[in-house]
Amino acid sequence: MRTIKKNIYWVSVVVLAIVLAIHVYILYVVLGMGWKLAVTDAVVNSAILGLGIWGLYLIINAYPTTAAMYLYSLAAALVVSGLSVYLVCAVLDWWPGTTGNDYLLWLKKYMALRFLYILIFNCWVSTNTALRKILNVSESRFQQHADASALLKEAELFKLRQQLQPHFLYNSLNSINALINIEPERAQDMVGKLSDFLRSSVKRESENLLKIADELEYLQSYLDIESIRFGDRLRIVFENDYDEKAMIPPFLIQPILENAIKFGLYGTTGSVLIEISLKSSGQILTIAIKNPYDKDMRSSTGTGFGLNGIRRRLWLIYGRNDLLEVNKDEQFFTTTLKIPQNV
Amino acid sequence: MYKVILIDDEPLARQLVLSLLNNYPQFAVLGQCGDGFEGFKMIQEQKPDLIFLDVQMPRLNGFEMLELIDNPPSVIFTTAFDEYALKAFEANAVDYLLKPIVKDRFDKAINRWLSSSVKESESKISAMIESAPVEGYQHRIVVKDKGMIRIIPGSDIHYVEASDDYIKIFTAGGSYLKKATLSHLEQTLDPQQFVRVHRSFLIPVSQLSRIEPYEKESHIALLHCGAKVLVSKAGMSKLKGLLGW
Repeated sequence: MRTIKKNIYWVSVVVLAIVLAIHVYILYVVLGMGWKLAVTDAVVNSAILGLGIWGLYLIINAYPTTAAMYLYSLAAALVVSGLSVYLVCAVLDWWPGTTGNDYLLWLKKYMALRFLYILIFNCWVSTNTALRKILNVSESRFQQHADASALLKEAELFKLRQQLQPHFLYNSLNSINALINIEPERAQDMVGKLSDFLRSSVKRESENLLKIADELEYLQSYLDIESIRFGDRLRIVFENDYDEKAMIPPFLIQPILENAIKFGLYGTTGSVLIEISLKSSGQILTIAIKNPYDKDMRSSTGTGFGLNGIRRRLWLIYGRNDLLEVNKDEQFFTTTLKIPQNV
Repeated sequence: MYKVILIDDEPLARQLVLSLLNNYPQFAVLGQCGDGFEGFKMIQEQKPDLIFLDVQMPRLNGFEMLELIDNPPSVIFTTAFDEYALKAFEANAVDYLLKPIVKDRFDKAINRWLSSSVKESESKISAMIESAPVEGYQHRIVVKDKGMIRIIPGSDIHYVEASDDYIKIFTAGGSYLKKATLSHLEQTLDPQQFVRVHRSFLIPVSQLSRIEPYEKESHIALLHCGAKVLVSKAGMSKLKGLLGW
């Protein structure tokens, strides 16, 4: 920005010098005016033109909004041009060096032409300045907007990640509380598992993508706790057929698994088998989680659970709405998650 | 001796309440169970004085279970984290314990219950159930049918009629009575699917076959099941709004 400003400064100085030279050439060579007169006229005219341009620049940049910017800048150019012409003529008229009736008559006769010439210059400068200012404003506005939406997205992702934690944490603490009296060793065991789980939850807060093996380890610590809470009622089977290099955003599988466990356990009082399969094919890692459910029971509040939150996160990360699928048949509820690789 | 039943789907959570209750010889725990169905049966059989009840449970949740019991015993709710339930408890001064349950808080709740002269909390609880804002809309109605619990999916409902303190739910498989008000039911069901068309009638929009003028300000709705239901002026404008006529 700084260098551009400096450049503009030098460019205007050079342009003014060229204008000055042309002015002298026309008066001296073309019109055959005296050498002294030609230089005086050209210097006064160019100096006032330069002052006018500088004034215009200040006036236009001081304009507070961008509404009717062009109208304002053209009006400013008109006023400044009028003032400049008046000033040029007054100075030249008063200047002791510019004598001779011929010259003074010529000055008055071609005042309109001089006005037109100054006006064209001023219009060019003022519209250019206005355009630059509008561009700057809209660019910073765009930047602001981009910053704001990035922040918003970050905040929303954070909130969505947080959504399902407290319930699980309080229930686990309650189980530990119970175990302290009856089976202190298992209580200690569970404290350890819960800490592992929380520690890796905190660690992965800052990660955007994790190796699938890390994610599975995290899920295992979660499942260990759940199986203490629900005892023999919960059985989990993994079917792994994934590419070791596959990556996955954190906190996507765990809420789905939590839903599957809740849904499975709440639909029946017997034991529940939850099947998790991970498959890599081409550029997609597919994760399917299947839990039994009782069709007749219905969930008391529908089947939504936290799935909408996950769909929203997938949309924020990949900009796609087709990555989460839910299938129900007579006995099983299957949630399928597709994670594009190498994006 | 006070008779107590523990209802919670996590065995360890029941274990914890049981061990905390050990300090109070005046309580006898008659039974434990892990879901609302069992709880319902156990309460009918044992007639306890006090129950500890989890809200989130398999098959039938704590609130749904309580709705079905005619003279509910005193209840101390136990829950981990449920904004909606907590609001309802606090608004109606119903006692509850937050998980993890700690001894101090447990002792307070027990002593409060022991010192309260009226052990009967039916009115408090039914008021709470009536006013409980639910998380999302219900997709089913739970009713008692000849001592059994029946779950009616929202999609099976033909229409619901109010009569005094009861509502009568009409389905293809027959009709069921439930002690509840139509306004409570109206609040818990999805207003995009169920419309209270009259002081005494609530219908699923999907059941609507056609509407005919009746008396000067009212209409009659013909349902797919063949029933005819009165539609009041207000009900008509609700239907118009919903169906975009």
